[in-house]
Order: sequence, then structure tokens, then C-alpha cells
Amino acid sequence: MTAATGLIDRRDVSRIPAPLAGLVEFLRMMSKKPVGLIGLIGVLFFLFLAYIAPLIVPLQDAVDVTAIYAKPSWAHPLGTDFQGRDVVNQIVYGGGDIITTAILAALFSTLIAITFGSIAATVGGRIDALILAITDVALTIPQLILLIVIAAIFRPSSFFVLAVILALLQWPALLRQIRAQVLSLKERDFVEAARSLDLGLLHIIFREMLPNMRSYIVIHFIIAMTLAIYAQAAIMFLGLVPVSGKNWAIMLYFAYNQGALFFKDSFFYLMGPIMAIALFQLSLVWLASGLEDVFNPRLRS
Amino acid sequence: MPVLSVRDLSIEYRTRRGPVQAVRDVTFDLQQGETIAIIGESGSGKTTLAVGLIRLSPRSARVTKGEIRYDDGKRAFDVLSLDSERLRRFRWADCAMVFQAALSAFNPVITIWEQFLDTGRAHGMGDKHKVHDRTKELLDLVHLDPKRVLTAYPHELSGGMRQRVLIAMALLLDPRVVILDEPTTALDILTQRAIIDLLRELRGRLGFSTIFISHDLSIAAELADRMLTMYAGRVVERASVEDLFYRPRHPYSVGLMRAVPRVSGALGSVVSIPGSPPDLIRLPPGCSYYPRCPFHIDQCLAEDPPLLQVDTPNHEAACIRWEAVAAALGSDAEAPVAEKLA
Amino acid sequence: MATITPAQGELQVRTFQRSPLSRMRGHLGGMWGRPITQAVAKALLTIYVTSTITFGLIRLMPGSPVEIKIDELMQGSGMSYADAAAQVSGLFDINLNAPIHEQYFEYLGNLAHGNLGSSFLSRGTSVMSIILSVLPWTLFAVGTGLMLSFIVGIFLGLFAAYRRNSLLDHAVSTGGSIISSVPGYLIALLIILIFGIQLRWIPITQMRGAFTSGITPGFTPEFVGDILFHASLPITVFFLTHIGLWILSMRSATLAALEEDHVTVARARGLSDGRITTAYVGRNAVLPLVSQFAIAAGAVVGGAVIIEQIFVYQGVGLRLVASVNQRDYPLMQGIILMTTVCVIIANLAADLLYSKLDPRIGRAGGATNK
Repeated sequence: MTAATGLIDRRDVSRIPAPLAGLVEFLRMMSKKPVGLIGLIGVLFFLFLAYIAPLIVPLQDAVDVTAIYAKPSWAHPLGTDFQGRDVVNQIVYGGGDIITTAILAALFSTLIAITFGSIAATVGGRIDALILAITDVALTIPQLILLIVIAAIFRPSSFFVLAVILALLQWPALLRQIRAQVLSLKERDFVEAARSLDLGLLHIIFREMLPNMRSYIVIHFIIAMTLAIYAQAAIMFLGLVPVSGKNWAIMLYFAYNQGALFFKDSFFYLMGPIMAIALFQLSLVWLASGLEDVFNPRLRS
Repeated sequence: MPVLSVRDLSIEYRTRRGPVQAVRDVTFDLQQGETIAIIGESGSGKTTLAVGLIRLSPRSARVTKGEIRYDDGKRAFDVLSLDSERLRRFRWADCAMVFQAALSAFNPVITIWEQFLDTGRAHGMGDKHKVHDRTKELLDLVHLDPKRVLTAYPHELSGGMRQRVLIAMALLLDPRVVILDEPTTALDILTQRAIIDLLRELRGRLGFSTIFISHDLSIAAELADRMLTMYAGRVVERASVEDLFYRPRHPYSVGLMRAVPRVSGALGSVVSIPGSPPDLIRLPPGCSYYPRCPFHIDQCLAEDPPLLQVDTPNHEAACIRWEAVAAALGSDAEAPVAEKLA
Repeated sequence: MATITPAQGELQVRTFQRSPLSRMRGHLGGMWGRPITQAVAKALLTIYVTSTITFGLIRLMPGSPVEIKIDELMQGSGMSYADAAAQVSGLFDINLNAPIHEQYFEYLGNLAHGNLGSSFLSRGTSVMSIILSVLPWTLFAVGTGLMLSFIVGIFLGLFAAYRRNSLLDHAVSTGGSIISSVPGYLIALLIILIFGIQLRWIPITQMRGAFTSGITPGFTPEFVGDILFHASLPITVFFLTHIGLWILSMRSATLAALEEDHVTVARARGLSDGRITTAYVGRNAVLPLVSQFAIAAGAVVGGAVIIEQIFVYQGVGLRLVASVNQRDYPLMQGIILMTTVCVIIANLAADLLYSKLDPRIGRAGGATNK
């Protein structure tokens, strides 16, 4: 095995092959453990609901005082809110913001973790020690509390800013993982081969090592999404973020603070967003669990 | 009356590709005070057999037929018919097993003393002092210092010490049969020597019968009275130690003898057996040694050869060509095989 | 005076000749390498960095407490700006107009003496006393919930592992997985919604708060009963939030422990199943979970915030949100610091506990070589 061909042979882990054959294989493996498949379906459903459904269903924003907390009926399958607006409509329109922010946050935190984790592991020495020290400190501070304070300071109204803030709190855990992985990969033959070919640090990181960590990264991305949703809902529920716009968490805020708790008919105004958030989280977790099995080479035949 | 009589024992494993016939129709007797060595290469089924004798095979294994008759003069029963409680009491008290001295043979979080106590208590020795006295007695027998060993945790002892502790623990309840699985494989050569001497000494003193499993022929030569050679799950030769070393009659045994380097042999006298063992899931018909056998003929493929009595008493080989093998080796019983074939 | 050997004398002279710094290093040199010293040093560093970060962050907050209080007075009692400002200026004893680095050093100096300052809003009440009055409630609810979830979770996990792939195993594992995916506060809302409102099984309005105000505090059964009554919902939520984790962790740890060789040897020794389960499988499986528990204990104090909000339970979390809304700087800083210290202590405890429980770590022995 020469150095050149060795670079091709070593993809022993997480290799999602090209186009259709790969997709079929992927689905086949997922269906072996139903949990993963259910998760995948769930995630796809919610993505559809959040991004495509609003294009189909018109927004019903009119305030209708005569229909406050109306019982579920054909016109309003899940009842109405404290301003007479349809709950189902709000759920349809409520997912986009949250999910987009979560994706962005997960993206940012993953990028930070990959970059600094790889650098720390490949460069080593003092830089490594410094990055590790910062990570450790960041890990120690209770996340939610810090988030509350930061949210109160910056009052993020755009989801971009919110995503950045959320990302800042999530990178430590993934960074340590990436760093550990890179450290172990560093010793492997193909890296040695790449180095001897003088391929440069960035090339080694991005073209050699990262593809081997694909499984970690994808799974952590999904978990980061769940954490982002958890955090978003938390600060919105506490009212620390300007409650403009509509999304599931803000529905919860209004529902809780406008007394929806105390009316029997407004049950779904609270239940709706709770279920939406909970089921989406569940789908994400199950998808991640299913992917874990797919990526685990020992479970492949 | 043999202490242990095994008849037609067969054990198979369930795997994804199909059932693996790990042990097939094994039959042998173990007499009082006798030491039998079971020799074979990896995958020959010897460990499965050993573990199967006390029914400790993993969940995926099944005994498909056979019986294991235990008779110590006071009680006699088929081990395979014991219910779980009687099996639990049979284990260690009547038949003990000494595993390889790996660190993982011991529970890492409790002391050696506690592990002895556990063993004693499990078999009705309620009095802590009695257990302690017996433990001390045994540790002395294996040349270990009780004070040092009993308060220690397993990771604090060396490999040789752990093996001795395992042996001492095995003798705690004065079993009639002791099975040893690769007792010296994990040890360096000096410790091996010590353990072998120890085993001989203990056997002389306490009089138990021994079965030991090994791939190391030299241990067999030192300790065994009789030997069984196993290949692809079957016993292919049963003989006394001298007969097997000087007058082997199965081609596999011959191959084994030739594969052991001898201190006094000529340089070219070591030959390994070409080829590899058969797939135990899809066994070819007839003798499983056929592909690697220099004596094979078409007749060998007809059926699995049974154990046939050969030209010396108490000596059987599962080969229809044993006479040809005997002729090839010559009738002179004195010269060791390897030199003959060099 | 005892005579000293030439060697000793030489050593004394040599030591004296070294610089004071290196002499000190010589003393500490032996101690420096020990893990506990490193851990403590790391802890101190973290505390320092945390306090600096919180100080900086908080000063960045829009709206100073002074302004907010002025607004409050103006709206509440209809005062003019001038009057309100005058009243407020006497209220705060920290000079908010001093340059920021002066404030910082004053803050750090106080911190080194264990002084967290006084709350802005309750003049004269030290932050420390406020925290100490609310922290026990949080620790009680969180601690009880966590401990119960650990104990029950361990047993369920063990059970599921022993009955691997049975219906019970699938039910327990799936149940655990579902519950652990749902955020704690959603579980809280669901409980209130379903059991409190729809089914009317739980008198939630009565359960608000940490205790009923009429009852005098003390170790009377009446008071203790009342506390438990009020804390029962938060404890239930903490229990449910964490149990999934313990079930799944213990299950996988037990499955791993069952594969170990020494378990097979133990069965060969004729040990009873009960003894094997407790001392051979159980003890080995639970080992990593114990430090996980300690770490979770430290982290969960932070997560209690929303739950306390929902149940109006007067613990640290509730106080924090209030102090954020009121811009009570010292109190906010104090709470953040306190919770961070909790996490640090919990992590240290986790390490210590693990090294105590696992004889392979920390004991000065080690295999002697033959």
C-alpha cells in the first residue's frame, strides 16, 4: 500500500456513499432499528411543517375577540388563543424561527468546535493547553444561568444573534470530543503518509481527518440542535427575550402568562406548542440514536 | 470407577451464519488421581469442552447430546441433568476450574480475602474463621504469604501470584476434579516452571484428578498421564503420554509432534502443518482432517472415522489409515517421532 | 546544640544561597505535582475567570439599576425625576459613577475576603445572606429529586440489563429515552396541565411557593409535611427529568459488566446469583455512574431556574430571574458565582469519590513485578 493509494483505502468509518445506491443502503440500515427511522420521519415531518406548510397555509393573524379560548371545532381544530387566533395556524407558523435558529446555532458551535479542537490537537503544546483551559472553564459555568444573563444583556431580536449566543455556550463539549478524536487519528498511518507527502496542516485536517469523524460531527450537530431548542424555549418562556414574532416558545410564554392554564378549553393552546417542541426534540434524539447505529462499523455485516 | 465419564458430548453455538459444531461426540474417562491433557490448536473446541463440563458455556451455546457422568464413590449423577441449585453446588465443590491468570479473572473492587470468603460462604462454610484457616493453609501450600495477599486487591498482585491464588482458591473446597484452562500461557517461562512444579506437588499431596487444556505440548509431557488430541471439535486420538509422543497414530498428532522444536533435533526438523482448520458451520463430509493429511485416501471422505483401537493397549485413533501411519513411523518404539521423520 | 553532619551543613548552606523564590518552589515542589493541588488551583482559576466574566457582562447590561429604580418610583408614586433621583442616590452604597476598573478591583478585593457585597434593592442585606436563605430550598428539592431518580434509575437499569431484549427491557429503555429527551420544564407544564387542570388531581394553586405562610418554621411534623407538600411537584419534575439518564447509563454499564471474565469465574465458583449481581456486577457497573451523579448534582442547580419559575418555588433560580429583571448587580454576580462554585465542588467531589470507590485508582500499591 503506497502512500498515494493508502489515502483512499483508509475510509473505514462513516462513509455515506454517493447517490442513490447509498441512499437505499442508508435507509435499509436505519430500518433495522425502528427508533432511528421513526426519528427520521419525525424530523422530516417537522421540517415540512415548519418550512413548507407556511407556503401552503395562509397566515391567520386577525384578532377576534369573540373567539377567545374557543373550544376545538372544525374551524379551529385546536381551539384559539387569548386573542382569538387559531392555534393550529400558529403551530404551523411557529416552527420556522425556532428550527432555523437551532440549525444556525448548531452550525456555529460545530464550526468552532471543529476548528479549535483540530488546531488544539494538531498543534499541541501551549496552544493546546490554552484552548483546553478555556474549554474547561466554559464547561464549568452553569450554561442556563449564563444564558439568562447574556440574553438579558443583549436582548437578541434577530435569530441570527440568538444563534450566535447559543452557539457560544455549546462548543466546549464537542471540542473536547473532536480534540480527542484528532489526537488518536494523528497517530494513524494515513496521517503519517500525508505528512510525509508534505500536504500541509489545513489539508491534513480538512481532507484527511475530518472525513473520518463525520459520524461524530453529524450526531453532535443533531444533539446541538436539541440543546439550542431547549435553551431558546427556556429564555423565551422566561420572557427575557423580546417577545415579538411568533414561535412555539413564545406561544408558551403567552399561554402561561395570559392564564391559559386556568381554562379547560384553552388546553390545546398550551398543549400544542408543548407537544410540538417535545416531539421534535424526541425525533431529533431518536434520529441521532439511529444514526449512531448506522455509523457504527461494528454493526455493519 | 472413573471420576468423570464423558459420553458423546456435543455442544453447538448459535451464530448468525448458522450453528457452529464446536464439540462433536467427545468421549473419554477420567480416573481417580489421573491427569489428562487435552491438546489442540485454537478453535479445536478444547476450551468449549472444558467450560462445557461445568455447564458454563455462554448463552448462545447448547448441549445437543451426550452425558457427563460424575462419580466420586459417594454420589453419582449426570452433570447435564442437574438443576440450577445443585449445579451451583457441584461447581467448585466437586469440580473446580482454574482459568488463565488474567487480571480480569478477579473482581477488581474487592479484596482477595473477600473473594475467598465469598467462595466459602457460597458453599455453606458459614464460619469465617474456618474459611480463614483453610485459606491460609492453601496459600501456604502454594507458597504465598497470606498476610500480603489477602488484604490486597487483584491489580496489586503479579501474574504469577494471581495464578497461584486462583489455584489455591480452586482447592478451597477439596474438589475431586480440577480443570485447568491454559494454566501457564500468560506467564513467563520461569513462572511457568514454578507453576508446573506446584501443580505436581499439590496433586501428589491432595490426590485430585486433573484435566488441563493446553496448546503447549511440553506441559503435557510434564504433567499428564494420558492425553487427548482434539481437532475440529472431535477427539482424534486418546493415548497415554508415552504412546502419544513416541507412537502417535493419527496424522494430526504426528503433525503436532513434528511441529514442536526439539532441543536435540536437527535444524530442519520442525515442520508446521499446512492449511487451516475447517469451517465448523459447514463441515465437509468425512474426515475433517482430510485436506491437510498426507495419508489421506478417497475412503476417508466417506464418513467421519470413529475412534479405532490401534496397536498398543488403551490407545485409540480416529483414523482408518492408522496402520499406514504406524508403518511410516516404523515399529521401533523408542526413538522420538520428530527425529524419526527428520 | 546538636552537631550536624558535614552533608547536612552543606545542604543548609546551599539552600540559603538559592533565591527565596526557588527556595519556596523547593518546598512546594513536592506538593505541586499532586493532583489535588492542581485541582484546587484549577478551581481557583475558574472562579477568578467566572467572576471577571460576570462582572464584565453585567456591567454591559442596558439600563442601570439606578435608572430602573428611578423609573419605578416615578411611576409608582408619581414623583418627579429630580425627587426620585435624590431618593435613589441615597439607596445604593456602591458608587456607580466610579471608573469601571476601580469598581472591578473593589469587587475582587471583596471577593477575596468572601464578601459578595450587598444587594442593591434590599439595602443592608448582604448578598451572601440572601443566597443562603434561598439556596437550601433549591438544594432540598433538587437533591431529593436527583437522589430518588438515581436510586430508582439504577434498579430499573439493572433490571432491564438482566432481562435484556425482553418486553420489560424495551419498555424501560424506550420510556427512559423518551423522558430524557423532553426538557424538564415541559414535563412540569405537562404535569400541571394534565394532572392539575384537566384532571384536577393536584391542587396546584395551593402548592405554589415553597411553604404556606401561616405555618411557623421549625422541625415540627406540620412544617416538614408542609414543605414536602410544596416541594413535591418540583421534586417529581427533577425526578422525571433525570431518571432516563440513570436507567440508560446503568443498563449499558451493567451489560458491559456482565461480559467481564470475573463474572464467569464467579459463576464457576458456584456463587449465588444474588451475590454476583450485587458485589460482582452491580458494584462494577455503578462505579462510573457515581461520578456522573456528582457532576449532575452540580449542574442541576442551574437547570432549576425555569422549574422554580413555573412552580413559584422560592429557590435560587427564582431569585436569579428577579434579580436580572431588577438589575440587582451584586445579587446576580453572587448567584452566578455561587452556582459555579457548586459545579466546581461537585466535580471535585466526583473525582474524589471515584478514586475512593475504585481501588485501582489512588492506592499507592500497583503490581509488583514478580
